[in-house]
Amino acid sequence: MSSHQHTITALVQNEAGTINRLVSLFRRRGFSLASFNAGDCEDPGFSRLTFIVNGDDSTVSQCLKQLDKLIDVVECEDLKPELSVQRELALIRVEPTEEQRQAVYNVVNEFMARTPRANVNCIVVEQVSDVSNLERLIKALEPYNITEIVRTGTVAMKVEE
Amino acid sequence: MFAADKVVGSEPNVGHGSEKMNRSGARIVMEALVREGVDTIFGYPGGVVLPLYDEMLNWPQVKHVLVRHEQCAAHMADGYARATGRVGVCLATSGPGATNLVTGIATAIMDGIPMVAITGNVNSWAIGKDAFQETDIQGITIPITKHNYLVTDIHELPQVLAEAFYLANTGRKGPVLVDIPKDVFTALTDAEFPTTISRRGYVVAGAPDPAQVEVAAAMIAEAKRPVIIAGAGVLHSGAMDELLALAETTQIPVINSLLGLGSFPRNHKLSVGMMGMHGEATGTLAVQEADLVMGIGIRFDDRLTGNTNGFAPKAKIVHFDLDPSEIGKTVSPVAFVLGDLKQSLAELNKLVQPTTRPEWDAQLTEWKQQYPLIVPEGRFLTRTVLRGLNDHTKGQAIVATDVGQHQMWTAQFYKMERPRSFLSSGGLGTMGYGFPAAMGAKFARPDEEVWAIAGDGGFQMTLQELQTAVEYNCNVKICLINNGFLGMVRQWQELFYDNRHSHVAMGSPDFGKLADAYGVKFFRCSRAEDLEATLQGASNHDGPVLCEFVVEMEENVFPMVGPGATNSSLVMDPDLEDSAAAHEAGAFETTHAGAKH
Repeated sequence: MSSHQHTITALVQNEAGTINRLVSLFRRRGFSLASFNAGDCEDPGFSRLTFIVNGDDSTVSQCLKQLDKLIDVVECEDLKPELSVQRELALIRVEPTEEQRQAVYNVVNEFMARTPRANVNCIVVEQVSDVSNLERLIKALEPYNITEIVRTGTVAMKVEE
Repeated sequence: MFAADKVVGSEPNVGHGSEKMNRSGARIVMEALVREGVDTIFGYPGGVVLPLYDEMLNWPQVKHVLVRHEQCAAHMADGYARATGRVGVCLATSGPGATNLVTGIATAIMDGIPMVAITGNVNSWAIGKDAFQETDIQGITIPITKHNYLVTDIHELPQVLAEAFYLANTGRKGPVLVDIPKDVFTALTDAEFPTTISRRGYVVAGAPDPAQVEVAAAMIAEAKRPVIIAGAGVLHSGAMDELLALAETTQIPVINSLLGLGSFPRNHKLSVGMMGMHGEATGTLAVQEADLVMGIGIRFDDRLTGNTNGFAPKAKIVHFDLDPSEIGKTVSPVAFVLGDLKQSLAELNKLVQPTTRPEWDAQLTEWKQQYPLIVPEGRFLTRTVLRGLNDHTKGQAIVATDVGQHQMWTAQFYKMERPRSFLSSGGLGTMGYGFPAAMGAKFARPDEEVWAIAGDGGFQMTLQELQTAVEYNCNVKICLINNGFLGMVRQWQELFYDNRHSHVAMGSPDFGKLADAYGVKFFRCSRAEDLEATLQGASNHDGPVLCEFVVEMEENVFPMVGPGATNSSLVMDPDLEDSAAAHEAGAFETTHAGAKH
């Protein structure tokens, strides 16, 4: 079976050590974690997490079962792309030359990105999109001296058909 | 946002000052023990647990056994749990006290043993500041506990303790650690224990899906050469009667994993004993020839399956377990039944038909005759001793082993007739486990005869508990096999490292003088003629006994499946002459002979 990326969402009960326990599971069982994101959710005392996991189907199946076994994990699921909304936020700082500045803004407009902060030295580009769009944006900005990228990792929500 | 973020620098919720708040954290711990029916705990005091030890004096109904090393507190709690099915409890102070529990907790998680470990920690306001004897025991034990807690709010303590016992002894059982800062032991609360426990997302396995049971029953009906491999899950679920009924109705032979020993009477005609790396040849061969393998409460671990690519090559596998993560973890079953084993087997028993299997039965009988376990006569071997111990106790004693050659020979030669009578560190393989585990079992079941079986290596890891045994008159008998070697390591060096002995010769103290120093009754035996008299002398003595059996130094365990090899390439005992032609005794097939033991 070929290895590919899976998006796993988990609802967890917050206690001392919860995040440590979740991440430790990936480390000790050798599951390949590409990104994870955690934040508050609609239930006080609970959080929803999104893991991007690389692996074949049986590995990811085992990963899900092991996650589900953790006492803090209320539920977890491997989300199908077509039945979910998946987004990532990125902040990209570029430090273009004077002559390049307009080109940067052209790229920003083309991708419908935003520039929440800019000064004579740098422009901070903000984008919320799916990962492939984000990566195309980064590629488009590469000629203009990217000096820092900060990404949240994917967040995903299941959406019924 | 996350609870972990709240700990550092926050004010503890100490709850002082209210008239309604009248119970201390220390008292709540003792109340929890009584509520859970804990009659004995194993522990060691220290600075931050002083409030609990002071409170303990008010609770004579809970016996505290003062160990000599915290590792042994965990092993005793483990032995207590294995011998009874009840939760074993151990207690340690912060820092080194807590870290000394780690080996015992890791031993328990690997074998699914219900345990609650209570540790003290530094004051909650000092956590994270590298205070004296501070350690992050919660972080350290995350991978080796079923769940763990750091309780910084006294009002949560009753809920946490009730939950800890519930989690430890439900579903896939395991150790739960509760870390309690010193100021939480002294803080006051009016919080009550919960009347029911429920956690979102924690579902205890119950009755199986009837469709899954029907599939399993149909597979049995079709099978010509079926086997059952019964594991510790049968014991954890208390499904021994259902297993016996299933085997007798369907006439399916019952093989055991190491920790499944005791789940099926060893002298039953359908019992085949242990299979795997050092299992009996009949069981291992039967699985390789079987057309149906029913794994019941086993996790298909590597010591049982050998190289999974060649495991049960002619068989369909059906896996019975309560833990979904065990299904398909190492082997791929064609069917599974998820649920509590007692209920799953009871449902299965309603569907299976009485059967006879004369040909398959004859094949197993032939293998048993062709490849018996042998004890060469006229020599004094570990096997001689363990066969003698089995004859002496008629398989009725509780035996706790260490790890290594004697462990495998105990599994082969000690015919466990009853559940919960075989205590051994199967998953983690913890040397030093046997003696303290035997003590834990004896504290739990004082009317039973309890034997610890240990080698000279493992015994020297935890022998300081002789003093504990003396102080509490813990009447365990120690069968100390002294061959002057770390025997299993030497065996591997002989077979896979060109017989180059590297740091395996093991010196020992004069065990007679040692026993004398501790005030323990001692016997030394080095001749087969004296064996039964020695064992009888030990049984007759009212108190702990150390029996040293000085056996031949170089003796190897057979049959053996080499590391990385398939079970088809098991190597028979070279002393078993008739087997040589059939299985080319002595020739190991290994895919990676340097594999770690």
